[in-house]
Amino acid sequence: MAASVMPPPVDNPRIFAWPRVRFTLIAAGIFGFLMGLHSTASMPLDIVRSIFVGFAVLMMFGFFEHFPRRMPRWLPRTVLRLVSIAIIIPISTGIVIALTGGATQHDFGMQLVGALLFAPWIAIGTILRQRDAFAREQALEFELVRSEFERRESDARLRLLQAQVEPHFLFNTLANVQALVDSGSPQASKVLSSLIAYLRAAVPRMHSKSATVENEVELVRAYLDLMQMRMPDRLKFAIHLEPAAARQQCPPMTLLTLVENAVRHGIDPGEAGGRIDVDIWIRDGRCVMRVTDTGVGFKGANHGLGTGLATLRERLKLAYGGEARLELTEVAPHGVCAEVSFPAPGPA
Amino acid sequence: MTIAATALIADDEPLLREALMRLLAAAWPELRIVAEARNGREAIDLFTAHRPDICFLDVQMPGKTGVEAAQHIGRGAHLVFVTAFDQYAVQAFAQGALDYLVKPVEPARLAETVQRLQERLRASTPALDTEALLEQLAKALRPASAAGGLRWVRASAGPTVHLIAVSDIDYLRAEEKYTQVAWHDDGGQPREAVIRTPLKELVAQLDATEFAQVHRSVVVRLGAISHITRGENETADIHLKRRPEVLPVSRSYLHLFRQM
Repeated sequence: MAASVMPPPVDNPRIFAWPRVRFTLIAAGIFGFLMGLHSTASMPLDIVRSIFVGFAVLMMFGFFEHFPRRMPRWLPRTVLRLVSIAIIIPISTGIVIALTGGATQHDFGMQLVGALLFAPWIAIGTILRQRDAFAREQALEFELVRSEFERRESDARLRLLQAQVEPHFLFNTLANVQALVDSGSPQASKVLSSLIAYLRAAVPRMHSKSATVENEVELVRAYLDLMQMRMPDRLKFAIHLEPAAARQQCPPMTLLTLVENAVRHGIDPGEAGGRIDVDIWIRDGRCVMRVTDTGVGFKGANHGLGTGLATLRERLKLAYGGEARLELTEVAPHGVCAEVSFPAPGPA
Repeated sequence: MTIAATALIADDEPLLREALMRLLAAAWPELRIVAEARNGREAIDLFTAHRPDICFLDVQMPGKTGVEAAQHIGRGAHLVFVTAFDQYAVQAFAQGALDYLVKPVEPARLAETVQRLQERLRASTPALDTEALLEQLAKALRPASAAGGLRWVRASAGPTVHLIAVSDIDYLRAEEKYTQVAWHDDGGQPREAVIRTPLKELVAQLDATEFAQVHRSVVVRLGAISHITRGENETADIHLKRRPEVLPVSRSYLHLFRQM
């Protein structure tokens, strides 16, 4: 199995990141050159001293970028970083002059004042630039997340659309309707009404973002009526809708997906068929939809299982974040129980 | 002039069996329907019992499909397939010169089929040899379990059997007789369950871009990994995002995590 694992993203540059080191070398070099023009020491010595001070400043600047992890409210990190720089400049200047020796009072003063005037401005500039980049990066990331969500939502809806337009179901049902009409059965008109109710409910729903539980139940009833006409000896069903749940909003086709799944993978593949129970109720501020079938169960359902359910899961996630649940369990002796639950904010 | 013959009709939907019988009664009054089957298995049994001249077989039936039943019947009868809407099957029937009807059945189309069947019966033409084509069709219609990788796994936790979405799995670990699955449910709670399928078989079905085997007995979902720490002696430990467990990476799999 080929695999690649990304290292965790680095939020902030390391203290001695190369761009910083390079910048420090250049800035300190220029500063040392200017000093060298006026000091009594030799030019290279001035440059070396400047670089030493420059690195001391860089170290402070980088160190207080991350430390302490949490800043007290009254002390902005920027202030801490500038103060630390102001403190390190005389110290590092003193150290480097003591180390290299041969410097006059004038040299020391010039180096100190110059560095104090020079370094903080560079630091402030860097901080502002960093802040800018950070804001830009965040805006970009936010935009990325948003567009990703939009893409996933439209994908999920497209898949729903494709999954629902099922010519096999439509033509088979029409063949049944024709059979009833041809034989002059009084059932014909009733079945045709169910088909019309199903189509009317199903077609515009794929485009809408929300439906009521009551609409969903009507749709499911029409669908189950049709399926029962087609396999009268193999399908039995019952629907129980708690009145309190009727006005709840839910993503369209939620219940139908569960029921279609039960028919397609539970009842239809089995010679003996089975029974489907649909129960909807409110419990602890959540709307629960449960579809139980006594069909062939998971064993027989090894094909395509999940296409509809996977899409439903995705849609529930998009609609409710992590607040919706879809759980599938096996029923003894055979069959599947599919349960969806989501927050019920009370009747709309 | 028409001739007398016997036929079997197989369809799981009773209304459609009746409809076909009614249409046949009009198109071929001398044809006697000797058996009605509700599924593929019944079709085979009833064919054996009655030996009809012609079998009308619905393609999509529970248990055995019409095509599978046809494989059993072989050249023992003239076959006519009936299907609602199955682009692939219809194409194959047409190309293989098999007789087929599309539901809802049109009388004109049925009349043509009846005429062809009568000619064959009159001339005593043996039924078409369709073994190879049927084999191919049966395979195409058979549910493909491995197609598109595994999306759900069946696992039991105590008396309950869960269907777990593959994307919810954190890792799989081979135990003595079964495979342990660690996953997060929709509420974000970490949970464990066991599958009877051996890890080796599961691995073959998992998407290789999402899962990696990191140890002889451990497969981890890459998205569940928080970070990896290098250990001594060419090993490493995997730390997970939402679980405290640490998973071992053995030497032979370490190359997966080499500097990238």
